[in-house]
Amino acid sequence: MIEFILRRLFQGALVVLGVTATVFVVTRLAGDPVALMLPLSATAEQRAAFSAQIGLDQPIWIQFARYAQDVVTLDFGDSLWQRRPAMEVVLERLPNTALLVATGLGGAVLLSIPMGAVAALRPGGLVDRLTTSLSLLGLAMPQFWLGLMAIMVFSVMLKWLPTSGFGTPAHLVLPAITLALTPLARFTMMVRAAMIDELNKQYVQTARAKGLTLRRILRVHTLRNILVPFLSISGWELITALSGYTVVVETVFGWPGLGLTAVQAIQRGDLFLVQAIVFSIAFMIVVIGILMDVISKLIDPRIELN
Amino acid sequence: MTSKVLAMSASLAALVLSGLTAGSATAQSITIAIGSEPSTLDPQLRDDGGERQINDNIYEALMARTPDGELIPGLAAEAPVQIDDTTWQFKLREGVMFHNGTPFTAESVVGSVLRVIDPANNSEQLSYFSSVSGAEAVDELTVNIKTSGPDPILPSRMYWMKMIDPGYAAEGDLAGVPVGTGPYMFDAWNRGADLTLVVNPDYWGGEAQIDDVTYRFVPEAGTRLSGLMAGEFDVITNLLPEFTTSVPKFAAVPGLETSVFVLGTDNEVTQDPKVREALNLAIDRQSMVDGLFMGYATVAKGSHVNPAAFGFNETLDYYPYDLDRAKALIEEAGAVGKPLVVIGESGRWLKDREQIEVVAAYWAETGLDVSTEIQEFSQYLDSLMGSGPRPDAIFIANSNELLDADREMSYIYHMDGAAASNSDADMAAMIDAARVETDVDKRKALYDEAQQLGHDLNFTVPLFNLEDIYGMSERMDWQPRTDAKLIVSEMTVTE
Repeated sequence: MIEFILRRLFQGALVVLGVTATVFVVTRLAGDPVALMLPLSATAEQRAAFSAQIGLDQPIWIQFARYAQDVVTLDFGDSLWQRRPAMEVVLERLPNTALLVATGLGGAVLLSIPMGAVAALRPGGLVDRLTTSLSLLGLAMPQFWLGLMAIMVFSVMLKWLPTSGFGTPAHLVLPAITLALTPLARFTMMVRAAMIDELNKQYVQTARAKGLTLRRILRVHTLRNILVPFLSISGWELITALSGYTVVVETVFGWPGLGLTAVQAIQRGDLFLVQAIVFSIAFMIVVIGILMDVISKLIDPRIELN
Repeated sequence: MTSKVLAMSASLAALVLSGLTAGSATAQSITIAIGSEPSTLDPQLRDDGGERQINDNIYEALMARTPDGELIPGLAAEAPVQIDDTTWQFKLREGVMFHNGTPFTAESVVGSVLRVIDPANNSEQLSYFSSVSGAEAVDELTVNIKTSGPDPILPSRMYWMKMIDPGYAAEGDLAGVPVGTGPYMFDAWNRGADLTLVVNPDYWGGEAQIDDVTYRFVPEAGTRLSGLMAGEFDVITNLLPEFTTSVPKFAAVPGLETSVFVLGTDNEVTQDPKVREALNLAIDRQSMVDGLFMGYATVAKGSHVNPAAFGFNETLDYYPYDLDRAKALIEEAGAVGKPLVVIGESGRWLKDREQIEVVAAYWAETGLDVSTEIQEFSQYLDSLMGSGPRPDAIFIANSNELLDADREMSYIYHMDGAAASNSDADMAAMIDAARVETDVDKRKALYDEAQQLGHDLNFTVPLFNLEDIYGMSERMDWQPRTDAKLIVSEMTVTE
C-alpha cells in the first residue's frame, strides 16, 4: 500500500510537471499579453518597457528556467491582472469553488443513491421511467443554458433566489443545483444499472430465499457492492467539475471561484495567473485520483493496486 | 395672544420642517451591475474598466467633461493657461478636501503627476500621459505642468489623470481603501462579491442625491439582464440593442467607439484608389444601422474620427451607397476577381463579427474575390499593430477616450501609427504639425485638412459611431454620458 502510494505520488508529480511545462509553452504561444494589457494607444516603446518589466523580453529558455525554479517554491509570480502574487489569488478563490463543488456534488451523491435504487427495484415501472427520462434530460442539457433558465424561472419570474452573486446561502442554491444536475443524472443512471445488475445475482436470490428483507439485502450487501464503481465515477465527476463545470457555472452566476478567475485570466492574457490555476487544478486532480484508488482498496481489498 | 399664535405657528413650522427633512433623509441606495471586478482600486496604475467605473466616483481630475463631452474645469478652478510652449498653468479650486480631511493643494497635484509618470510604478496609463514630464507648485493653489514638447492635448490628458493624496499614497492602502476628493467615498469591498460607496456629505460641489451605491460584478450579459428584470439592479452596462424592449427602462448615448476598416494603401489590390473608393461605396450603412443595431448607432460622417472629439471635420460628406458605381470602379481598376482579405476579431466589440461579415458580403458584390479571416484576439492585435505586412482591410472599433482627433490621426492616419496602413508622408506631416500646434484654430484646420485628404483618398472605410446602451430600473432617472463614465452623482431616484 505504502509502496503504491509512493509510486502514485511520483507518477503524479511527473504529470503535474508535464502539465506545468505544457501550460508554459501554450501560454507563450497564445500571443503577447502586453498587447492585451496596455491600451491600444500605447506606443511600441511603452510595450517594450512593460514587456521587460515582467520578464517577457528574455529568451524563452531563460524564462522557462526561471519559471521552473519558481514553481518548485510554488511561486508563480505576480498576476498581471491583479498585480499581486498569482498563488494568493488562487488560494483566495479556491475555497469558493470548493464550496460550490462540495454542495453540488454532495447533493448529487446523496440524492442519486435513493433515486437510482428506487428506480432499480421495478425496472420499467413508472418511477423508473420517470427517473430515466429525467436523467437523460439532465445529461442532455448544456449547463450554460440550464443556468440561464434557472435564473429566468427562480429569480426573474418567481423571485425566490438572487440571480447571481456571492455571500449568503441563498446565493449558493442556483449555482449548486445547476452544477449538480449533470452529475446527478449520471450517478442515478449508474446506481440504477448497477443495482439491477446486482439484484439479479445469485446471492440476492439466496438471501431472499433465506427470508432476509429486501431492505436489509440492499443495505448490507448490494449497496456495498456498487460502492466501488460508484466511487470511481464520483471521482471522475469531481475532476470534471473542477476542471470544467465550474468554469461555466461560475461564469453564468458571477461566482468568484477558480473557474471564473481562469476565464478572466485567459481573457486578459494573464499568463502567470493561468499557470498558477492550471498547476493547482492539475495538482488537485492527481491527489483526487490517488485518494480514490486508496479508498477503493480500503473498501474492497480484492482490488489490485497496480 | 399674538405671541402665543406666533409661538404656535413657529412650532408648527418647525414640525413641518422636521417632517420634511425626515422625509428627504430616507436613505436612497442603488445597485449597479458592472462586467468585471476592479483588479485594484489604485486609480493610477491600471487600464482597467472595472476600476475606472468605481473610481470615477471617488476621484476627480483637474479637468472634467460635461455629459455631452465638452471639456470643463474639474478640480481646476478655470481652464488652464499655457505660459510657454511646454508649460501649462492650472489654478486650483479652493477648499477642496480629500475624504481623509487632507486639503487638496498644488502639492497634491505635483505628487499625483509624479507618481503616475514614475517609471518604477510601471503604470498602464502611461500612454495617456506620454508627453507629461513633470509638475511644480507655484503657490498653494497654482501648479505648472511641464511637457517634454508642445502638447495641445494636455488639458484633455489631465481629464484622465485622477488626483490622489500623495501622503496617503505613501502610507495608506491606496489599492484597497481609496481616498479621493469626489462625491462618493469608499465604504467596503467584499472581494468577489460587491463593493459599496457612500455619499460624501462635504463634497465641494454639494451633496449628491443618492446616499449609497453598491456595485455587483456580473460578467455574463444575460445574467446582468436577468438581475435587472428581477429588480436586483438599478443600472446595468452594455445592454444589447435587441433587449431594449424587454427592460423596464433604458438609455442610449453616442459613445466613444467608431467602427472602421483600415485599408492597406500599398497592397496589391487596395493600392488603387478606385478600389478603395468602391469599397466605401458598396456598403449600405443605414440598413446595417437599422438591421444590426436596431437604430442604436449612427452612420459615420465620412471619417472615422469620433464626432464628439475636438478636430472632427463636420463638413465631410457621408459616403453614399452606390453599388453600381462601386462595380464600375472595380471594373475600371481591372480588379474583378482579384482577392481581398478582410481581417477581424470576434467578441471584443459590439457586433464586431456581424459588422465584418456583412461588410465582406457587400464587398463581394462588387466583383472582388473577398475572404474573411476572424482571428483570435492576440493574433488579431498582431495583424493590427505588428510589424508584419499590412492587411488589405482590417476591422477595428476605435475608442477615443481623450476625445481629441489626435487619437484617430496618430493611430490610424499617420504612416508611423501603430494601426496605420498607408505611407502618405504629406498626411503624416500635417498630423505632426497638429500635434505641436497650440493655436486651437490652426490645429483644427490641420485636422480638417488631414481628414479631407483621408476621406478623398479612401484610406479608411468608416462605418458607425456606436451607441452605449444602459438598462435601468423603473425608478432611475439618468442620462448616460458620451464618455461612458458611470457618474452616480448625476443619477437620481424617483420613488
